[in-house]
Amino acid sequence: MAALPPLLEADVQQIDAALRELLTQAEATTALVMDQGGFLITHQGDDQQFDLTTIAALASGAFMANQSIANLVQETTFSSTYQQGDQHSLFVCTVDEQCFLLVIFQAQNSVGAVKYFAAAASDCIAAQLQQARERDPVASVDLAALNLADSESFFRRKR
Amino acid sequence: MAIINQATKELQVKIVYYGTAMGGKTTNLVQVHEHVQTAAGNKGKLVSLATNSDRTLFFDFLPIEAMAIKGFKTKFQLYTVPGQIIYNTTRQLVLRGVDGLVFVADSQYDKMAENVESFQNLQDNLKSLKMDLDDIPYVLQYNKRDLPNVAPVEYMEFLLNNREVQVPAFAAAASRCEGVFETLNMITRMLLHKFINQSVPQYA
Repeated sequence: MAALPPLLEADVQQIDAALRELLTQAEATTALVMDQGGFLITHQGDDQQFDLTTIAALASGAFMANQSIANLVQETTFSSTYQQGDQHSLFVCTVDEQCFLLVIFQAQNSVGAVKYFAAAASDCIAAQLQQARERDPVASVDLAALNLADSESFFRRKR
Repeated sequence: MAIINQATKELQVKIVYYGTAMGGKTTNLVQVHEHVQTAAGNKGKLVSLATNSDRTLFFDFLPIEAMAIKGFKTKFQLYTVPGQIIYNTTRQLVLRGVDGLVFVADSQYDKMAENVESFQNLQDNLKSLKMDLDDIPYVLQYNKRDLPNVAPVEYMEFLLNNREVQVPAFAAAASRCEGVFETLNMITRMLLHKFINQSVPQYA
């Protein structure tokens, strides 16, 4: 599996800007970028009424399951999926081979507009990720401060 | 693969519990969810995509945050795979982007062949994703030690922990929450060691 490229804070700012523009143009509620492993990379919009961590994990799994179905019907990929609800609907599309874009929007809004503006946002995010891939890796994050002396301290059982 | 977010000082890690059907993978997550000590809001919901007979259909998912580690928020995403053979494609999907593995073996004598088969299946599925078990931190958990007719730990070590590099193994009775936290803390420790030793981790 291809790895997510090293991203700088500036990369995330650019991606967030693309997401904000998407939310405005499509009148959507929340937009998030996630990877194939189910990690939430970044998001914009309403994060109070939704559990975005869990949504990213489930949507990633569901989207990847759809890619397997695509292969079974001799398609290379299903580049997007749309799930219609009564209150909110979801639109998911590929950004690149590693990442997806998920948009949550009011069900009464047009999915056509979301699709249209998501495509532009997706291109913008993909370009930023590509730029990150082409950049030389810079100094890594210093994790030396992590205290590993006592493994019991990571997760403790309630007494 | 793990994500280190430089902007928010967050580390996100994916751990997958793998093993035979009915071996106790979901029970491990349930026990962690019920008993873990966390600050308010640091434990997410345990999501189970299960059949109507409580067998895991797609995966179980538990997002959880460890105690603050020197300025880094460490968010762990714990997954289980469905144990039943018919869901192998699903297991491959869940393994995508895995950082660490817990192999949950059923200690009952009559489950030894299934354990070995499942361990081989894990290696095969990783290969299909162009990953190698040698490159991924993992621990073994010999579960259901509270049941009668269990195989000796030494025998399970011979069957499952006889690769070039031996890994930590824990006797457990997950239904009583015995060995659950020891297992989770060890894989966590191994993962963090790996990240520290990596020259260029991914970060945002």
